Amino acid sequence: MGDTLQTTLHELSDIQRRAVQWDHGPLLVLAGPGSGKTRVLTCRVAQLLDQSRDRRFRVLALTFTNKAAHEMSSRVTKLVPGLDERADIHTFHSFCAQVLRQHGAHLGIRPDFAIFSRKSDRQAVLEDAIRREQQHLGHEFYRILPMIDTLKARMIGPEEVENRDHYSKELAQVYRLYENELRRANALDFSSLILEAYKLFNYPVMARHYQTIYRYWMVDEFQDTNDAQYKLIRRMAGENFDQIFAVADDDQTIYEWNGANVRRIRSLVEDFNCEVVQLPTNFRCPPRIVEAANRLLVYNVRRDQSKHPALPARPGNSTGIQQVQLRVFRTDADEAAGISHEIANLDDTERAQTLVLARTRALLEALHDAFNAEHISATLLMRRDDFVSPQLRWLVACLKQINRPLDRLNLTALVETFSDFTSESIDFEYLLARAQTKDLHYLSVWLDTVRQCARLSPFEELIEPIAALATGGLNPTSAINQVLQCFKENGPSEDLKDDLSAWRRLSGEIRTAVGPVPLDRFLQELELRSKKPVADPGAVRLSTIHGAKGLEFDTVYLIGLAEEVLPSWHSVRKGSDSAAIEEERRGCFVAITRTKKRLVLSRASRYRTWPKEPSRFLAEMGFTEAPSATVPGRGSPS
Amino acid sequence: MHISRIEIKNFRCIRHLAVDFGDTTVFVGPNNAGKTAILDALRIALTRRWGQRGAGFNEYDIHLADDTEDPKSSSGISIELRAEERKPEEWSDDIVADLADIVQQSFHTPLRSVTLRARCMWNADTETFEPGWEFLDSSRTPLVGRSARRLNLERFWHYLPVFYLGALRDSGDEFSTRSSQFWTRLLKDLNIPPELETRALQTLDSLNRELLEADPRLDSIAETLSGATRIAARDREGGLDLRMVPLKIWDMLSRAEIIHRNEPGLPWLPLRHQGQGIQSLSVIFLFQAFVDHVLRELFEQGSEPVLALEEPETHLHPQAVRTLWHNVDALPGQKIVTTHSPYFVQNVPFRDLRLVRLTSNGTEVRSLPAEFTASVPPLPGLNAVAENASGLLNYEQTTETLTVRGVLDEKTYRKLLTCCGTDKRRSELGLIIRNLRDSSALYIGDSELQALETYARRMRGEIFFAERWLIVEGQADFLIVHAIASALDYDLDQHGVAVIDAQNNGNPATFAALARAFNIPWLAVFDGDKAGQDFRKAIASRGFSDEELESRCRTHAERDLEAQLVADGLGPELREVLKTVGVKDSNELRDDDLVTRLRDNKTDYAAKFAARLRLDANLVQRTPEAFRTVIEQLRGLR
Repeated sequence: MGDTLQTTLHELSDIQRRAVQWDHGPLLVLAGPGSGKTRVLTCRVAQLLDQSRDRRFRVLALTFTNKAAHEMSSRVTKLVPGLDERADIHTFHSFCAQVLRQHGAHLGIRPDFAIFSRKSDRQAVLEDAIRREQQHLGHEFYRILPMIDTLKARMIGPEEVENRDHYSKELAQVYRLYENELRRANALDFSSLILEAYKLFNYPVMARHYQTIYRYWMVDEFQDTNDAQYKLIRRMAGENFDQIFAVADDDQTIYEWNGANVRRIRSLVEDFNCEVVQLPTNFRCPPRIVEAANRLLVYNVRRDQSKHPALPARPGNSTGIQQVQLRVFRTDADEAAGISHEIANLDDTERAQTLVLARTRALLEALHDAFNAEHISATLLMRRDDFVSPQLRWLVACLKQINRPLDRLNLTALVETFSDFTSESIDFEYLLARAQTKDLHYLSVWLDTVRQCARLSPFEELIEPIAALATGGLNPTSAINQVLQCFKENGPSEDLKDDLSAWRRLSGEIRTAVGPVPLDRFLQELELRSKKPVADPGAVRLSTIHGAKGLEFDTVYLIGLAEEVLPSWHSVRKGSDSAAIEEERRGCFVAITRTKKRLVLSRASRYRTWPKEPSRFLAEMGFTEAPSATVPGRGSPS
Repeated sequence: MHISRIEIKNFRCIRHLAVDFGDTTVFVGPNNAGKTAILDALRIALTRRWGQRGAGFNEYDIHLADDTEDPKSSSGISIELRAEERKPEEWSDDIVADLADIVQQSFHTPLRSVTLRARCMWNADTETFEPGWEFLDSSRTPLVGRSARRLNLERFWHYLPVFYLGALRDSGDEFSTRSSQFWTRLLKDLNIPPELETRALQTLDSLNRELLEADPRLDSIAETLSGATRIAARDREGGLDLRMVPLKIWDMLSRAEIIHRNEPGLPWLPLRHQGQGIQSLSVIFLFQAFVDHVLRELFEQGSEPVLALEEPETHLHPQAVRTLWHNVDALPGQKIVTTHSPYFVQNVPFRDLRLVRLTSNGTEVRSLPAEFTASVPPLPGLNAVAENASGLLNYEQTTETLTVRGVLDEKTYRKLLTCCGTDKRRSELGLIIRNLRDSSALYIGDSELQALETYARRMRGEIFFAERWLIVEGQADFLIVHAIASALDYDLDQHGVAVIDAQNNGNPATFAALARAFNIPWLAVFDGDKAGQDFRKAIASRGFSDEELESRCRTHAERDLEAQLVADGLGPELREVLKTVGVKDSNELRDDDLVTRLRDNKTDYAAKFAARLRLDANLVQRTPEAFRTVIEQLRGLR
């Protein structure tokens, strides 16, 4: 058993092993791109578990994405099979959800709360709240939720907003109404997951309880923690807890808009009195890219100056491939056409290992269309908060209705999505009235109504499993499978195909993350995860720079390297020595360091018809343009 | 870990009751009152087989109010078990981490707890009585998700292994390797070094040979029997031999048995040939050996056995039963005991006693709690009232529990009522608080119980088995009231009336308070002097109403029993009685001297006079009216 772990430990570099085996209190590991930080983290978790086989404490690892958590979990399982039960690897949100499910009673939160992650759900809650109290709003409606989120992210409750001025008084009132309405619906939104957990840890007994359960804590991508998340960690650690192990790279902080902050790493070192270990060796990128990345960072003055420049671990240009290339086009349309054409001409193997990055989603969508024109399969790597087909939205609504029979908001969704794919509408008010007069649950009234409608008889195969599930005659897995099978057999649309593939991936992910779970928990997990379909393995991946964290590909294309594109117009306006420009520069750094073999940079002279200068980052990285690189119009450079 | 409380609803003869448990808890009550139902509820909820269909509960277990009630319409069985720390940090870090998914941390005290609810009710869809289980959060809402995994149930059981020794424990079963819960495990765990095993087997082999050779007939028997192998002929040569001694070491160990002799010189005999008492006792000690030697290996570090022990006194001599309490109390783990033996109860501390009785409302359990609780929602000012009376009151918001440690005085009670002032449910809340005040009036303090332990040890064994109490002042009253009752054809022993001569056993007021706390109907007769009046006042000061005092307490018109007897015209008979106890001039005495002499020879004259009363029933018409009235009143007293 220990063999896999021993072998892996043996393969680590000395400095990596030092971090894995660290046993002297709080530690910050400064890890550049490709320095093997995930490996260090998983080995550390595995080793802590391996050395305490007769103990029961757990190890907590907090990550930023479900994908990262999933990957870490499966690696830990491989390293120390049978011990992974004691490794709790979570995103901040899912960890807080778990804490609240178990101890939320102290705050009046029931264990079966729903998580509202979609804007539309939250907007509906807000509307209900306002309608209920017959409030009139001075604010523009759409601005309220972002304002509430900002307040919550700074752990500011309604009572603290109240007494500033007239304007805040009104905001506080709406904020409070919204919170009460959420509580009435037995629901929490994303930011309240963190905020409410933080409130629990205000009680020292609760913090101590979690210190007892989790003897060791790890935080991945520490540079991305926002104010709320960091406050949560500090409160949970109380005065004395010191088994904290954070992995960070301040040069990869690209979430400042979300409250992440390069100074936070310094706070961590000071607050916890951390030792620092640096992992400067880059095992991923070719030397030329490591050098470019180092050059780029020199321009950021706000970074930790004691940090070592990255060292290339891979041999020089031995493979004969040109490690970095530059393309220049006349217009953004030419860029999209040119790059897609070039990638279309790559061999299948390389194409499947190709990632295209851009600063904005708009650039990627143009490129996606260009790939369609070339008949090349391409996938946008984006979080999807909801399924896209009415069919799966309907299925989820049914499951939610079974779980929360009195949820009227969800009933609306159920009725609407059903009519979207059956083109038969059912009168919502009629349903409500019947449910009230007959004192029946909404779902059973809906089921009855559908069954009585002759035109809907073709959908019987969909309805009956749901009815059986609702009465306990079928278990969730079989009921869901029957419905999905029925969808599959009836010539699914592209959207539905995407969703079915996403469902397969999600149910597998949830099974590995939390095991077989009852319906309510399954729905909570579903809510927390992206509904992105599984990508065609041969497809080109397209991603924004912000979505590219943690990825690595043989070939990377970074497009749109022009002033006011990357760096963004917004940051350019703030001035050359602004923090905003520095964040853009870190974005560029993250983008190029995704590369394992070959990097292609491109720019156009005009974007949306406006002339744009070459990005300053090109020069900073040391890539001056050779005249031959300029290719007018369509076509690949020779 | 230990069970601190069980709450049972709709189970067999129990409609609804809650019982708190200590390290040792002793249930006393008539047959069929529900003692076994309580033990079974505990056992079913903590037993491994439970939770599968067809095991655990069945439809006959559902409590029915009468013959016409349908078990299908019952709200179902619910058994809630709570395990709470007795002191901070009682549970090791490993226990807490192992049970992390189900442990609840209190907010205001460092104490942690786990609550399990087992239930069973009719499911109309599946048409079965479905058992189920769930762990609860601090507000008794079922925990979901990860906490609802069966794994947690098994772990919880592991820390609270339950063992059951029924009243009819048979040493033949308990010391058999087929049916014993302990003996087999103990023997299996024995470690025989391989060298010793080899040597023992060689010795056995040679012994077997010698035995076979001792009588030639054995050889011929073996030869005849081997015909069987020849008939069932196979390709290979089989074999048959006679074995007089065990073939394998395990075989030999499994024949291990307990032998015993009463005195040196008497023959050793196997346990099954001993008296029933020693057999029954041996089984209890077998449990101790099991816990001492193999429990830790079978369960967890920190597992504490729960022993449900029915009638430990079975077949034992009173002297043995008296000392038995100390042995039972010293057994490892938590003990839950039922008994019918006054000798056993004699030594049980008052707070550990639970009186079980069957009422029209189902089984009822009474005890002498050190605190009283009520469920009260958070009310304005409640925390302040609780803090001001911090020795007496405690309020925990999460669990909405108000606790009184002692008698809730009128002033504090009023303050609590004021807190309900504006609440919508104030009349309902007022009732809850009044009930709390009333039940707290049953409080009996530690020092008073301590005094009882000292004075009333001998008597208290039996009074808890009585159905009614008659409190009198002294020994003479005791003797005479028994005789009067017999003469009035109401034998006190036969009718379950315990006569308590309070003066020799402490304080009559304490007994009145005890009777009230245990819900035992009681009456009292006191002398007409100041001491008698003081007893009455002492009882009044325990919060009994004037009407109640009036109906329960009688007083002789004269200053004491002797004066009363003489005043009632029993002078001639008493003079004769005095003569028989050696007062020669009894006939010459004036009445007041007669009274003095009677007082000087209290117990002697009382015994003789009682004997006289039994012979001459006509005398009873002249006995003190107070006695005759209470005896009349005792008939049918509830």
